Amino acid sequence: MAIFEEFPDISLNFSDSIGTSITNESGKKIGKLNDYFVDYNDVYPVVLALQYKINRQLFYINWEDIISFSLNKIIIKDSFFVGRSRTYPKVQNKKVIASLLANQYAGETLEYPALGKIVLDRQVVDTHGKKVIRVNDIQFIKAGRMLRVTHAAVGIRSMVRRLGYEKTVDFFIKTIRPRANYLTKESLINWKHVHAIPNRSFQSNLKVSLSNEDFQDMHPADLADILEDLDNHGREVIFSSLDPKMAANILSEIDEEIRPLLLQNEEPENVADIIEQMDTDDAADILGDLSVSKAEAIIQEIDDKETQDEINELLEHKEDTAGGLMSTEVFEISPESTRSEVMEFIVEKHEEFENVYDIFVVDSNGSLVGTCSIKDLLIQKENLPIKNIMQDKDLKTLTPDVHWREVARYMSKYNLINLPIINLEQKLLGIISVDDVLPWLLDE
Amino acid sequence: MDEIKASQKSMWKKFVILLGIVGPGLITANIDNDAGGIATYSLAGAQTGFRLLWVLFPITVALIMVQEMSARMGIVSGKGLADLIRERFGLKITFYSLLFLIIADLGNTMAEFAGIASAGEIFGISRYVSVPSCALFVWLLIFKGDYKIVERVFLAGCTVFLCYIVSGFLISPDWALVAKSVLIPKPTEIGAEDLPVVVGLIGTSITPWMQFYIQSAVVEKGIAIKHLWHSKVDVIVGCLCMFLVTLFIVVCCAATMHQSGVTITSAKDAAMALKPLAGDYSSILFAVGLFNASIFAAALLPLATSYYVCEGMGWESGVDKNFKEAPNFFIIFTTLVVLGALLVLIPGVNLFGVLIWSQVINGVLIPLILIFIINLCNDPDVMGEYTNGTWYNIFSYGIVFLMFAANAAMLYFEFLK
Repeated sequence: MAIFEEFPDISLNFSDSIGTSITNESGKKIGKLNDYFVDYNDVYPVVLALQYKINRQLFYINWEDIISFSLNKIIIKDSFFVGRSRTYPKVQNKKVIASLLANQYAGETLEYPALGKIVLDRQVVDTHGKKVIRVNDIQFIKAGRMLRVTHAAVGIRSMVRRLGYEKTVDFFIKTIRPRANYLTKESLINWKHVHAIPNRSFQSNLKVSLSNEDFQDMHPADLADILEDLDNHGREVIFSSLDPKMAANILSEIDEEIRPLLLQNEEPENVADIIEQMDTDDAADILGDLSVSKAEAIIQEIDDKETQDEINELLEHKEDTAGGLMSTEVFEISPESTRSEVMEFIVEKHEEFENVYDIFVVDSNGSLVGTCSIKDLLIQKENLPIKNIMQDKDLKTLTPDVHWREVARYMSKYNLINLPIINLEQKLLGIISVDDVLPWLLDE
Repeated sequence: MDEIKASQKSMWKKFVILLGIVGPGLITANIDNDAGGIATYSLAGAQTGFRLLWVLFPITVALIMVQEMSARMGIVSGKGLADLIRERFGLKITFYSLLFLIIADLGNTMAEFAGIASAGEIFGISRYVSVPSCALFVWLLIFKGDYKIVERVFLAGCTVFLCYIVSGFLISPDWALVAKSVLIPKPTEIGAEDLPVVVGLIGTSITPWMQFYIQSAVVEKGIAIKHLWHSKVDVIVGCLCMFLVTLFIVVCCAATMHQSGVTITSAKDAAMALKPLAGDYSSILFAVGLFNASIFAAALLPLATSYYVCEGMGWESGVDKNFKEAPNFFIIFTTLVVLGALLVLIPGVNLFGVLIWSQVINGVLIPLILIFIINLCNDPDVMGEYTNGTWYNIFSYGIVFLMFAANAAMLYFEFLK
């Protein structure tokens, strides 16, 4: 007998099938269908086993032992194997690359949680629509003698179905508006775009594998929005799996109040890796929000001694002063460099700086002796040393203790894109670019 | 020298952190004294005198425990209460619970508009003017205005209720008797006719919607787990403030009205409790306080309801979204405000009755919500290592049991006998 002989439909809803009675060939009652175990490694996971319940105890039976599957009755072999467990032990036979759950190695046995328990009624990430959604139902499709998960249902129709009013509501809508969208279109999300996040208790043996390109390819601003909508646990699971570059982008984009929550359980070593990918002023902002001991532990893990010193120096300044706003990555040039040397330098090192609109000329003592805009450099035809091109009179500078409002006023008055910050000995400490001040103005 | 400075600095830092976290508990406790609350407390004082004062003590303990659990859940899980109920108990239970809660909150919204109407009538403004204009104001405030600024104005307005404390001292009742009435429980003296008052007192102090509100507020603030202790301080201080104000409202009303045998039938009567302080201006003072509290809650309550219903059902929500992005959110909020205002305007509605009975409905629902809360607080999937201790559970289930007992007794005597 074919397994789906009694079940003519193509697709199957999770909620419709739950509670179906399971009997064996001789007609003895075994229990009621409670949940499904699927192979999370598949793009469209295949059903491996069914979970059933007797007297509030949970068991599982393998899909191979099923003779007939329909919504009225599930019949299994007399000699079926019963597993008494809330989870399903799955032997891993190959290393998995793109998958929903797990990044594991061959031969290992992993305890899989039931599908409904980790997906139904939970928040999952829809990587296509780029948002966090709550799943009302799960759709399967018949594929040969197997069942595969194809969609997560999220719309109002799936909600009505779960509540058990599908027939009543359908009847009313059919009488009132036979062509209503409600009757034909169901809001579904293709399973390949669904990213579930396992519970805390599953975390020990199952990790979400986000080496899946979906997340890394997303725009950091979109992923930051998604993380803002998730709870602490979900955020941590996703955030800790990102590569440092992406994590750094996320940290710059995400809501300030969430930043410390993202970092609270991360190892200082990992945070240092992320921090190294950021501009020193952003890095100092983030470290400034953490406790002193935690920030120190992170700074110690930063490999580059120079970056360490720069960040430490920035942390000394108050957040709302010029010192707190400035970045220490400055485009510094010695007065003797020629125009062509400077141009070469820009081509080579431009990635290290926030912008290259202004060049700051610094003598051997580190004192600021002049500035030169990229425009002045470009219109200059001869290959002169920079000290002959630069402007060295009436330099527009401020000291680190100036309040940010004064900084904004000053930059606006003199139309500055970059403002050098110097100490009393004329030593150049850093620069503030106009986009460092903008967020403060917007928050006013 | 440097060491002293350093320790001062760290003391200061601790204080600043505490201030940053203080808020949700204190605000929640403040809106506890809304229109329904003041009406119920006034009625309790006028009708029963000092006799039921002791009930306030266990209610406050229960309130502290409930709010502490909600706040802890918010901090540890980073999720709202409706979120957690949906994930733990599934769609069906969530749907029906939310349905009951919406009905209860419609009653509460009515109560707030009844408070606005009562306050207006003290000034001689017809309810057909005050209620629609306030409903419009609330709607515009939430969707077009800057709610955060207005919230501060409302909170400042809540200090009007400190007048009850001053008034209480001016009356100078028999303090020894008051202390004895608070501290010594006399369960045997509760008569059948007191039961609605008791359930109302429970319902107005420990409202179901407020547990959703405090948890969301904590989540939104993004309080880290290591600051759990600060949040406990916040909850306890907030609840004690509420206890103090409540106590004085009941004492004032008991001393001014119960002893002279006045019964409260309208808000005007309730203003008598402030007479020792404000003399002939007492009704104005009372009306200002009542109006402020009512309109504050009339904005916050439908807002909180819309948020948690959308959260539980998985719908888009947010005041910064437009109708197309978050239709359900708009519909729920608007319906609550419009319907709440309209129902109060039905001719012949007893405003004071609306105020009291909406609180009784709260009292009936709260033990059910409490069971959810306790259950979730014991789930390691949700709470990790921060689940309830054994004694905490015994205590909280004890509270639930007492609440059910009070409800059952009230329902029996009110409707069956």
